[in-house]
Amino acid sequence: MERAVTGTGAIRHWCAQRISALALIALMLWLIEAIFAHLGEDRAQIRTWLGQPVPAVVAAALVALAFFHLALGVRVVLEDYVQTPARLAAALAANRIACWALALIALAAIVTLAFGL
Amino acid sequence: MSPAERPLSPHLQIYRPQLTSVLSITHRGTGVALGIGTIFFVWWLSGAAWSGACFSAAQAFWDSWLGKLFLFGWTFSLFYHLLNGVRHLLWDIGIGFDLRSTYRTGWTVVAFSVLLTVFAFGGGLYVWSAL
Repeated sequence: MERAVTGTGAIRHWCAQRISALALIALMLWLIEAIFAHLGEDRAQIRTWLGQPVPAVVAAALVALAFFHLALGVRVVLEDYVQTPARLAAALAANRIACWALALIALAAIVTLAFGL
Repeated sequence: MSPAERPLSPHLQIYRPQLTSVLSITHRGTGVALGIGTIFFVWWLSGAAWSGACFSAAQAFWDSWLGKLFLFGWTFSLFYHLLNGVRHLLWDIGIGFDLRSTYRTGWTVVAFSVLLTVFAFGGGLYVWSAL
């Protein structure tokens, strides 16, 4: 069973949340620019764009860090609001599984696009 | 359980909301909203990688009024969480932690979140419709 963040775990959680936040500032500015640059493009154009190495690598970094940051944030929310230990354990596990699954699907999609598979 | 005889601290429902607490819970709310948004983002990205039908369905969703409403919510959530996140990072290194600065930066975050949302969403709609 996963336990609430305490002791050194809490410090690591705190640091990880902030370091990922710092990196995500730059990545989100990139995302906003990318959304405007590729607004209304069809599938072929999106595939060409993410088939290039730099956009693919930046997108992969964004996906990895965003889901890492999301998992940490949702964990704190669940720890604050879910009352019973059993429900909290289930909710924390669901959070981890959902964030991992979404991140892996997104990364697999980016790899597929990057290598034109 | 018998009712407590001692005085109880005021609970959430009868507490007058302050800017500070409202902005704090909004940070959480926008974070969770962005998390839900990632599901739609992954749907669209999967479509780009593996399925033309899936990609078209995702694009059609953004074109619908519900899709636009969601996009508007995520646009605001992104700008708010980004700007208020910077505010949090500055607090973490000891900047702007006094009450006066907290209120000043708080209202700044609110104003810029609204302005950037209107500009980005309006600009996006304009570019989209001009295509």
